[in-house]
Amino acid sequence: MKTDIRYTHQDLVEKCKKGHRNAQYELYSLYVDAMYNIGFRMLESKEDAEDIVQESFVNAFKNLESFNYDSTFGAWLKRIVINKSINHLKAKKLPVVPMEAHEYYIQDEKAVETEAVDIQKVKAGIEKLPKGYKQIINLYLIEGYDHNEIGEVLDISTSTSKSQYHRAKKKLVELIKEL
Amino acid sequence: MDNFEKHIRENAAAFDEHKADRDAMWSKIAHELENEEPKVIPLWKSPMLKIAASVLVILGLAGFIGITVISNTISVEEQYASRELLDIDMHYKNLVSYQVQLVQNHPKLSAEDKTEFLSFMEELDAEYDYLKLEMQKNLDNELVLEAIVSNYKKRIELIEHLLKQINDSKLTEEDYGYTL
Repeated sequence: MKTDIRYTHQDLVEKCKKGHRNAQYELYSLYVDAMYNIGFRMLESKEDAEDIVQESFVNAFKNLESFNYDSTFGAWLKRIVINKSINHLKAKKLPVVPMEAHEYYIQDEKAVETEAVDIQKVKAGIEKLPKGYKQIINLYLIEGYDHNEIGEVLDISTSTSKSQYHRAKKKLVELIKEL
Repeated sequence: MDNFEKHIRENAAAFDEHKADRDAMWSKIAHELENEEPKVIPLWKSPMLKIAASVLVILGLAGFIGITVISNTISVEEQYASRELLDIDMHYKNLVSYQVQLVQNHPKLSAEDKTEFLSFMEELDAEYDYLKLEMQKNLDNELVLEAIVSNYKKRIELIEHLLKQINDSKLTEEDYGYTL
């Protein structure tokens, strides 16, 4: 099914598979800003984000043969950037999930219904989130990952992802209210 | 998913507020990609090329086996010729050295006569060495082999002749003594 969204930029991707440098540059241009922003959100550092995004593109172009349109190219590349970012944080021994009360999530985490908030306030709220809360909020709210995907990326169970997300979201809502 | 979450997800693009330094980043990426191992071109996707490659491999193998077999036959021939030469050589060498020893040990020959005779033999030795070299250069040359044999024969003849002369003179002396 060639009209499927997964085949977006298929011509470019196929040229890149053959090693065409111009096609690689074109594909890079289409995705670099999005990938850089993902890296920046995950790592909160311009230099680290640049390094990770560069590495991800090199990695993607070198392993493009293994990309079989199971997802869009953008989603595939995004996963590479996110995985590399998480590994980078882990290598730096930075928390990628909230540390405290890890074991007690079952009883105290419940989905809280919250109303829409101004995006600028959300940005400010995320900025103030403690370490370990930001990544899961980013992955769920901004990157649009579900709890299965977050579980894979962060190497935690789906239920842990859910509970940790709700904990982080609760914290975010509190911070926004304080603004 | 509540309204809070929906609203953020729908406006996720608003969080992309940074611009990448795309040229600087690209130059590093391009540099990394250039350092990559040269991409293997899948030549063998064409069946014609596969057949051509197979034929080449078979020809190469056949050629290799052929060369090995031929060189083996040659070396067998070489061995055969060398063995023939070696047999002849051994036979005559023993004969010559035996007779040279006889001359040297002969009580009735003066030292001068011995050296004169042995210098003859040395000349023939030199000729023999030269012929042996020729033999190595051209193994199936029967003329060279014959020359080697005749070289030996000449030496033997010379020695036999000399010994005969000595023995003859001995005989006359004895006869002379006997007649007395």
